[in-house]
Parts: sequence; C-alpha cells; structure tokens
Amino acid sequence: MRFHYSMADRLERLTNLVAVLLETRRALTVEEIGDRVPGYPEEPDSYRRQFERDKATLREIGVPISLESLYAFDQESGYRIHRSDYELPALDLTEDERVALHLAVTAVSLEGGEGRAALLKLGGLVGDPAAPLAALPSVPALPTLFDAYRRRARATFRFRGEERRLDPYGIVFRNGHWYAVGHDPDREATRAFRADRIEGPVALGPVGTFERPGGFDPSSALRDDPWRFGDEQPVTAEILVHPPQAVWVAADLGEEAVAERRDDGSVVLRMAVTNREAFRSFVLGLLDHAEVLGPPTLRDEMVAFLRELGAQGVPQGDR
Amino acid sequence: MSPRPDAAARLRRLLTVIPWIVDHQGSALSEVAARFGMSVPELERDLELVPFCGLPPYSPDRLIDCEIVDGRVFLRFAEYFARPLRLSPSEGFALLAAGRGLLAVPGADPGGSLARALDKLAGVLGGADGMAVEWAPARFLEPLRQAAAAAERVEIDYYAFGRDALTTRRIDPHAVFAAAGQWYVDGWCHRAGDERLFRVDRVRDVRPTGEHFEVAGPGAAAPTSVFHPGADDLRVTLLLPPEARWVVETYPTESVDTRPDGRLRVVLVASERPWLERLLLRLGPATEVVAPDEARVAASSAARRLLARYLGGSPPCP
Repeated sequence: MRFHYSMADRLERLTNLVAVLLETRRALTVEEIGDRVPGYPEEPDSYRRQFERDKATLREIGVPISLESLYAFDQESGYRIHRSDYELPALDLTEDERVALHLAVTAVSLEGGEGRAALLKLGGLVGDPAAPLAALPSVPALPTLFDAYRRRARATFRFRGEERRLDPYGIVFRNGHWYAVGHDPDREATRAFRADRIEGPVALGPVGTFERPGGFDPSSALRDDPWRFGDEQPVTAEILVHPPQAVWVAADLGEEAVAERRDDGSVVLRMAVTNREAFRSFVLGLLDHAEVLGPPTLRDEMVAFLRELGAQGVPQGDR
Repeated sequence: MSPRPDAAARLRRLLTVIPWIVDHQGSALSEVAARFGMSVPELERDLELVPFCGLPPYSPDRLIDCEIVDGRVFLRFAEYFARPLRLSPSEGFALLAAGRGLLAVPGADPGGSLARALDKLAGVLGGADGMAVEWAPARFLEPLRQAAAAAERVEIDYYAFGRDALTTRRIDPHAVFAAAGQWYVDGWCHRAGDERLFRVDRVRDVRPTGEHFEVAGPGAAAPTSVFHPGADDLRVTLLLPPEARWVVETYPTESVDTRPDGRLRVVLVASERPWLERLLLRLGPATEVVAPDEARVAASSAARRLLARYLGGSPPCP
C-alpha cells in the first residue's frame, strides 16, 4: 500500500527520498523505497522511470547515493545515503571569515564557477560583494583533477593524442593557464599538464593510492622559462639586448642572468637553454632589440633560420 | 527576473537552508532570505512545503515541524537535515581558486580572515596548499590601483607592444583587473582621446599629476576578453603546421579549420605591424602566409632586416 498525497509534488518527493535514504540503517530495494516515499505512481514501469529520474537529479546536485548489498553476502542490492559521505564536516567559520570568502568569490570570478553555491553551504552570503577584480578561466577537466589531487587518486586522461597518467600533487594557475603538476608514473618524473589541453574527461583511480612528497611546492615544480623546457643537451646562450628593452628583459630574467652591462645601456644576458626552438622564439619576440651572441652554433642556427624565412615571399626575379 | 528554478535547484537550496535554520532557530525570514540570496516570498514558498516532508509513516511526529511566528522561523524534527550537503568538487575548487586568487593579489593580508578561512577549508578539502594562483608580476600594480581607487589622474610611460614603441600619456584609471593571467588598467587616455586598455606589466613608470577625475557611475564588470578587433584591422590567413597549434590557443582567431594534411588554416586579426612581424618570425618558414600579400612580405622583410644585423652588425663574442 503506497501513501498518497494530494500535495505531493516532485520537490516534496525528492526531499522525502533524501530523508528516507539518509535515515535507513541498511540499503533499501527499489520496491522498498517506493513503499516508503510518497508520491510515486503505482504502475511498476512508470514508478521505475520516475525513480531513476529522481536518482539522477539527486546525483546531479551532488547527493552521494551508494548502491550496495542489503546484507552481507546478500545477492540483492539497494540504495542508501551514508551520512559520512553526505554531510559537510564542521568548519567553524566565523562571520568575519564568511565575509572574506564572499569578497573573494565576488572579486575573483571563476568563469561559470560554483563559488556562490559553495558559500551557501558554508552558511550563506555575508557582507557586501566586492567589485570584480580578476577573472579566472574555467576548464572542464579542473574540478576532477582537483578532486584527484585532494583524494590522492591517480588521474588518467588523453593529452596530445596519448593516454597519460598522473598522480597530481597540485594545481597551479600561471600565465593565464591552469596546470596539473605531479608524478607521471610512466615517465617516472615530475610532469605538468596544461589542463585546457586535456582531451575529453579525466578518469579517477582508487582513492589514497599515492603520497604527496612532504614540502612539495607545485609552483616551483612548474618550470616557467620555455627555453629550459626540453631534453636537449644544455647550452649556455648569450644574448645582447639593446636599451630601453635591456632594463625590462634583465628584470624579467633576473639579476643572476646579467653577464655584462655596457656603457650604451645594453646588457648581455646568459640563458641556460635545453629547448632551442623556444629560445629562438624568445629572442625573435624581442624583434630588433636583441641578438644572439653565442655560442657560434646557436648564432649560426639563428642566421640559417632567418635566411630561410627571408628568402620566402621574395617575388621571383627580384634577386 | 531569472527563470523559475527547477526542482533540482530548489532542492539544492532547501537542503542548504534547512540546516542553517535548524542551527539558528528563530531567525528572521528576511535575514535568512538575504543570507541565501533569495527573496522572502521565495523562501516562504520553499518553507510551505517543509511540513509535508519527513519519514514514514508521515505522522505528525515524523514530519518536519515548521513554525513562523512574527516573521521568525523555527524548525523541529529535522535532525537528518542537520548538516548541509558536502561541497562538490566544482564548488570546492571554485571557492579555493577564488580565495587563493585574492590572496595572491599584492597587498593581500596573508594572516587575515581570508587566509584563516582557507586554512579551515583546507582541512575539509584535504589540503589546499596544493593549489597556487599566480598573477603576472606587474611592478606598478599598486600605484595604479591606488590611483583608480582615489580617482587620481596619472602620467604613465607605456610600452606599446603591438607597435614596439615607448609612449608617455596621461590617463584616468577607471578600473584595474586581471584577465587571462595579466593585469590590465582600463582608463581614459588623454592622448588617444578615448577609453583604452593597458597591460600593467608594460607600464614602465607612473607619476602623479595632482589632478583628479570624475568617477562615472559604478565600475564595469571585469571583461573576460581584452582584445576587440577593429573592422579596419588586417585579417591574416595562415597555414600552420600542427606543432604551431599554440597560436590558436594563445590569440583570438576569427576562424580555424583543420586541413586533411593536418595543418590548420586560421584567420586572425593583426592590428599592428610589429605584432604580426613578431608572430611570423617566431613561426618561421614552416608556416605559410596565405593572404594578404602585405602579410606575406612582412615576414620575409623582417627576417632580412634582422639578418642584416647578424651579418653586418657587431661581431660575435668569442
């Protein structure tokens, strides 16, 4: 015998479904759920359809429903919600801290982000919103990568047409892009992946399968200078940069890179290069303000590159 | 008005509001509504439904008891909804990203209430030290933010990257914000006689003028796109080898097509010649400039100009 409610609409039914699944001490079969939650149709097929739809809705808003055996060694399975999976642990936030989080979520907007929904769970919107200050791009792979990081679960995804695996040690936003940094078990090395270049979904392995090394700093693990991002034989390059660019380039590369300051205001900078293409790209980006001085191999390569490019587009008969 | 929220959105809200009321019995409806970003009628409509919710056999002692007295709300028999739902990965991520992002802005207080809140969250989210948000370094960020906040006109030395030239101009900084990882100042440029966007890392100096400007209404929202191509700007068609895909990921394009041979045919906007030269030089001979002729010539003439420096310029160091 099922309960019937004149006023039972879907929201009521969903609320009761959550309450019933939270309160039960063992998993409930689909049939048992129908007996306990009012508002489902009598007819088994349409009941089943409605229940599946409700279950999908609950999962969509993040209600963790587990499917498990009714009793140990039992063939029959059913559904329940474990309180420990469901409930937000106590945070003991002060109102000051809620104000600060509200300011943060409104000042720094994550495109399409769920920051506001998170604030509601933490006790609502307190204080005034901030004026927008910064925007962070959103990338579909990010929440899952972050979840993999915090639950110490191996992430598997496609990257540049290859299947890659990563034990994520951290997530870094730099130069306008999000990166997942961690240990690559296949390359047996620390690797960083630009999250927006991940193709398709990220799959998570079992939870708690790796340890983050103590004191691991994802920021410093993410190498920045692209000319050091490579596996080529290291070369120390010297470049000459003319004023006024000299001051800014020296500031960017750091004082330790400065080999010589000339009287005309130009500087000679030393760069450790393991990726020659990226190095060439950096120097060319400075246009007429920079020149490769040495070593001769790098200078010759630059000359050859410019020669080839310079010969293109020259109308025939012009030379 | 926003569209009427569906059952999922209302349930999500209800599962958040109920625990808060259970924990703060007798709160004013208006306060609860404000805190959860809804109107009082919306809250009342949600609460009307609560007395029909509970557990079998749905007898009065098993249903949630909701009482509203003098605009204050009391909930009983709702122990199973004593806590809000845990944060989803997207929610946890969004909250930490915003918090870390704001803490990374120069001038933020590393020991303030935001830092304390993030520490508490880190406990729940399993360690937040693994997330870092880095904004591009920008030496003159703070003086420009101060000038914008105080409506002070300033004189700046600015490196116009596209034109490869250092310029000096007076600006009224209206807003300072970060987008795509860079800091920008949006302001009225007295030299251009128009609103302009400047990248703060290309500002080489800021000097006060002692003048103030009128603030025109509330600040605009931080734009997420900072490049607005003009109708007169040069459209350049390139055939890129697959390894030059970074161009598409870095610059706004008007169209991108993958060719059967794996190359990408892209159309992008080049408003300044030095910008185009720089791009084509970096791409090198592996990239084909399809059109226009002007762009095709730009690459090779820039290459010959730089080459002259190597062949006839200063001798290489030993």
